[in-house]
Amino acid sequence: MLNLIRNENMKIYNRLRTWVLIALLVLASILLAALSQTVANHSNQDWQSVTRQQVEMARPGLNDTDNLVKKSSERIVKIGEYRLEHNLPPEDHQLWGAVRDASGLLVLVTIFTVIVAADIVAAEFSTGTIKLLLIRPVNRTKVLLSKYLATLLFGLLLVAVLFLSSLLANGVLLGFGGAGSPYLLLGADGHVHERSMLLHILSVYGLNSVSLLMVVTLAFMISTVFHSGSLAIALSLIVLLLSNVLLFALHNYDWMRYYLFANTDLTPYLEGSPPLFQGMTLGFSIAVLCAYFVLFNGLSWLLFTRQDIRS
Amino acid sequence: MDKPTVQIKGLTKKIGSRLIIDNLSFEVPRGEIFGFLGPNGAGKTTTIRMMVGLMKPTDGDVWIEGKSIRREFEQAIRHVGAIVENPEMYKYLSGYKNLVHYARMVPGVSPERIAEVTRLVGLEARIHDKVKSYSLGMRQRLGVAQALLHKPTLLILDEPTNGLDPAGIRELRDYLRALARNEGISIVVSSHLLAEMELMCDRVGIIQNGRLIDVRLIRDFVSAGETERYLFQVGAPDQAAALLREQGVAVNSTEEGLEVGVGAEQIADLNEQLVRAGIRVYGIWPVKKSLEDKFLEMTGGEPLA
Repeated sequence: MLNLIRNENMKIYNRLRTWVLIALLVLASILLAALSQTVANHSNQDWQSVTRQQVEMARPGLNDTDNLVKKSSERIVKIGEYRLEHNLPPEDHQLWGAVRDASGLLVLVTIFTVIVAADIVAAEFSTGTIKLLLIRPVNRTKVLLSKYLATLLFGLLLVAVLFLSSLLANGVLLGFGGAGSPYLLLGADGHVHERSMLLHILSVYGLNSVSLLMVVTLAFMISTVFHSGSLAIALSLIVLLLSNVLLFALHNYDWMRYYLFANTDLTPYLEGSPPLFQGMTLGFSIAVLCAYFVLFNGLSWLLFTRQDIRS
Repeated sequence: MDKPTVQIKGLTKKIGSRLIIDNLSFEVPRGEIFGFLGPNGAGKTTTIRMMVGLMKPTDGDVWIEGKSIRREFEQAIRHVGAIVENPEMYKYLSGYKNLVHYARMVPGVSPERIAEVTRLVGLEARIHDKVKSYSLGMRQRLGVAQALLHKPTLLILDEPTNGLDPAGIRELRDYLRALARNEGISIVVSSHLLAEMELMCDRVGIIQNGRLIDVRLIRDFVSAGETERYLFQVGAPDQAAALLREQGVAVNSTEEGLEVGVGAEQIADLNEQLVRAGIRVYGIWPVKKSLEDKFLEMTGGEPLA
């Protein structure tokens, strides 16, 4: 199995295309860092007065009848006061904030990984190499699994590249001074806790990678079932780009809660903000995600292991 | 020498309601080169794909070294080296990396073995170049190299000479013969080119419309059913034809000369009479039917290639 994955990696990383994608991602994260730097410079008020303003604006909400408003106000007030008291500037315009915001570029990571996923099975068919690949003493399940894992590894690599390049780019532009500041969290006990900022940022990346995993799995499935890389890229990107539009347009229909992209964002559950549909829970979303995951990979597997190779 | 390398029994393939391969059975003993001959679309490639597990038979099975390709795929296929149609390789990798790729999929292929097969097919000088820069002949040789990498006892080559120039074809042929003779490898080749099969194979099976219509040794094939015919080349064909017909001999006047259906003894007599009648005889040849003629006869004049 390890050898099979090494083979797939060899085929991925010996192509110029792969390195162009990686370079583009690095470039994008540097550009984003430079851009947000210039924007940040315009609003260069000192952070204490900004925080004090925010706290004062949120204070009336503490007595609001709406539980949600009350909760979010409480968070702003308590964390703001804690910052002022302990002289902990917010991360927004600092190194970690910038790295956190760079997680928006995970869309790019998704697109790039989809390009690789779309090709990894389909290209073997279109070039005819599938015939020499499948006449080895290795069953088809293992071949397919090695391709899937190599694709996920590539996605993981891109996430790491994005994280590190935005960390370095922003570090150079903003300085590494804020690197030691903690992440502040309002616990259930009503007290503010200091947590590791690095872990927090990693969890932001991890949560955003859920949609990456699902879209890439979808692209891999289309690639395997239809043997067409371009179809796989087109379909999965359309699905990805239209996901929010669809959610917005059809959000009155209750069955939309079973829609894949209604469940890919797990942050509301962890932050305690309201879910997209009444009654959705973390468990529900994970179950839906698992169902899609099994469906996509099951289809890939069924077709790949059973079909006659005629190309 | 005991068991045949390949045993095929009742192999059948239906796609939808169409019968592509109909109840095919044959065996290939150790060290034999078996030719699989038939017009395009007769089912050669489908049969080969079923033999290597790329397609699933509707019925019947293929045993390689006694292992069923359907039920013991991994044990069966490890004895097989194959090129199915064109030797399609990863063009963006070097020849060497292509070989490494396939070597990793079979346990026990050492770097030395990779170097060995590279030398065997004469690609040492170019093995680290990308496959996209290779000529068709070089790709074919790389294809042979990947097929031999794991020391198979059965080599299956589908239309191996497709796209090769005459020198390349000759080279491949000599090479395959040497493999079968020296290493006892059994080889199954398919082709629609008769002349090539005649030179390369020990035995041929003729397939038409998915049925194996005949299997025989190539030398039996060439000499079988030969009715004796001779060709006279003479100075005055019309006069000679008339004279021969007077003798009660069936004469067929062709562009090359006069074809007569008689035995060797009678030929001498006929010659004497022609010479006596003052007709100049330039040559007498026995007429041999080519494999191609026989093939056309057997397949009912189905066009080839």
